[in-house]
Amino acid sequence: MDIILGIRVADGTIIATSKAATRGISILKDTDDKTRVLNKHNLVAYTGESGDTVQFAEYVQANIQLYSMRENDIELSPKATASFVRNQLATSIRSRKPYQVNVLIGGYDTKSNTPSLNWIDYLGTQVELPYGAHGYAAFYANSLLDKHYKKNMDVEQGLALLKMCLKELETRMPIDFKGVYVKVVDKDGIRSID
Amino acid sequence: MNSIAQRFSHSSTSNVLNEINQAQTEFAGTPQLELAPTIQLPPISQPTDFLRAHTDDASNPDCKIKIAHGTTTLAFRFQGGIIVAVDSRATQGNWIASQTVNKVIRINPFLLGTMAGGAADCQYWETWLGTQCRLHELREKERISVAAASKILGNLVYEYKGMGLSMGTMVCGYTKKEGPTIYYVDSDGSRLKGDLFCVGSGQTFAYGVLDSEYKWDLTVEEALYLGKRSILAATHRDAYSGGSVNLYHVTENGWIYHGNHNVGDIFWDIKAQEGSFNNVEG
Amino acid sequence: MSDPSSINGGSAVAMVGKDCIAIACDLRLGNQSLGLANNFEKIFQFGDKTFLGLTGLASDVTTLSEVFRFKNNLYKLREERQIEPKTLANLVSSTLYEKRFGPYFIGPIVAGLDSKTSKPFICGFDLIGCIDFAKDFIVSGTATDQLYGMCESLYEPNLEPEDLFETISQALLNAVDRDALSGWGAIVYVVTKDKVVKRVLRTRQD
Repeated sequence: MDIILGIRVADGTIIATSKAATRGISILKDTDDKTRVLNKHNLVAYTGESGDTVQFAEYVQANIQLYSMRENDIELSPKATASFVRNQLATSIRSRKPYQVNVLIGGYDTKSNTPSLNWIDYLGTQVELPYGAHGYAAFYANSLLDKHYKKNMDVEQGLALLKMCLKELETRMPIDFKGVYVKVVDKDGIRSID
Repeated sequence: MNSIAQRFSHSSTSNVLNEINQAQTEFAGTPQLELAPTIQLPPISQPTDFLRAHTDDASNPDCKIKIAHGTTTLAFRFQGGIIVAVDSRATQGNWIASQTVNKVIRINPFLLGTMAGGAADCQYWETWLGTQCRLHELREKERISVAAASKILGNLVYEYKGMGLSMGTMVCGYTKKEGPTIYYVDSDGSRLKGDLFCVGSGQTFAYGVLDSEYKWDLTVEEALYLGKRSILAATHRDAYSGGSVNLYHVTENGWIYHGNHNVGDIFWDIKAQEGSFNNVEG
Repeated sequence: MSDPSSINGGSAVAMVGKDCIAIACDLRLGNQSLGLANNFEKIFQFGDKTFLGLTGLASDVTTLSEVFRFKNNLYKLREERQIEPKTLANLVSSTLYEKRFGPYFIGPIVAGLDSKTSKPFICGFDLIGCIDFAKDFIVSGTATDQLYGMCESLYEPNLEPEDLFETISQALLNAVDRDALSGWGAIVYVVTKDKVVKRVLRTRQD
């Protein structure tokens, strides 16, 4: 099971995604990046049915970029982005072949200077959370974050907290997920962390 | 006409009766489990399939008989002995059947058993385990080891494997020979010795908190708090865990009960005190 | 359980008092056993004294709240007035029946006061729009059975706003405390002729 995890802190949002791409009983790749950049301040991380995931993420990416091109380089806010993605998934679930994709959207609203984390599942269930995860990772990380997450943490403290979560996942998850890619979305845009 | 009807009905009932009698003598006549008391089986061809069809939530979500489920239990060893902590919620489907279940069974003053899975299964067999432990004491003039006690339970549930027993339990105790010891025993027949276990639908949530703070050198006070806090974390996130926390400390002098803590009260106290649960307003 | 209406959990209830109504909901949003959010409001306001409660599949709750916001906005523009509770009820009913063969998995309830007569109005619906008019109370959600039990025993007619608040709060709180998929906070609206009061209830968090 893929791991995607997000933590919102005071000055940005941290997104972590596992590197393993697993099919059946084999790990096909250990450098798989399960994120797509939607625009300068919005990052989508995805998990779910193979094939659907990348197709959906890139479809969303293309549409959000198309919006900015048409609308005179106006960047879609995290709220609008999440709303768009939710709407796509909610429409898709009642179609002949629904996208089975769950996503986290890490965003930074440059107008109000607020970071955000949006949790959206394949049914089109959307919630804005301080921290969240999809899949089995949620069952380990949520309780840990309930205890250790503090309001007004900065990115540094957020990354330390993320480390705790990953340590727990490494000890308790039954399969190796080959580590994670960590990205931060803040006022300066999206950057990777080693 | 009348005689035909009479003959027909008579013969058919006697056929059924014959079959039932036959099945009963077959099952009850030969003692199938020497270790365990006889448990009656229904006079049908496949009792296990029948039971599964009507009680197993997982294979038949529409089944009418819902066996009490849903739990978080934990036990861990540390410098000062063993901490045992459990929640107290029992659910039947989404219905909360009870918030005041006692999920720690006091087998004897030195042995505790925790309860997860089928409430009746755990309650019955762990009470039964208590009698077996007492018989051992009388026969051997010595308290039973945790290893032996857990093996009796392990062997018993293994005898019933595939028949629908559902239990995940930790047998915790102290003996001179072994020191503080925890055995995990489940209805698949697994029996594992270890330092730290969480069992039940809320296990992962309890592990999340427990692993992040656990170390061998915990003081008794710290350990008790960690046990309580880990169960609290699980009751918060897991819909099928809740009610209150029951706390125990096992030492060389036997177990000590450290009270019942209502989640409705301790949640807000702990939130204020720790500055945690920042996802909750107020 | 893959029943769409009990994946996310959540409950709502509405009651009629003396020249007032109250409508309340819990705040939980879960994914089966896992609690995800404790700020998922299931009551939406349309107009000054008209409220819609939506329980069931969270995706459809969001979708429908947006559909009705849209339809309500169009209504306001066309009619140049606020929508009446009765009108909203009919709007909800016909909107749901449009999806007769592929329904939204929700349990809506409507509550409000008529803008002219200030007469209380409450009603509930099944998932394809059959209206259930009631004089006393309406319940909905995963704690439906428990809510019926609480309301049948606590409710009395012609309660003053303060007493109605107490009754609906106790009914909701004690009902969701017996449902694994509801709870995690609650919200109560009490609507009288000249004001709307919204209160957040502090509840058990397990």
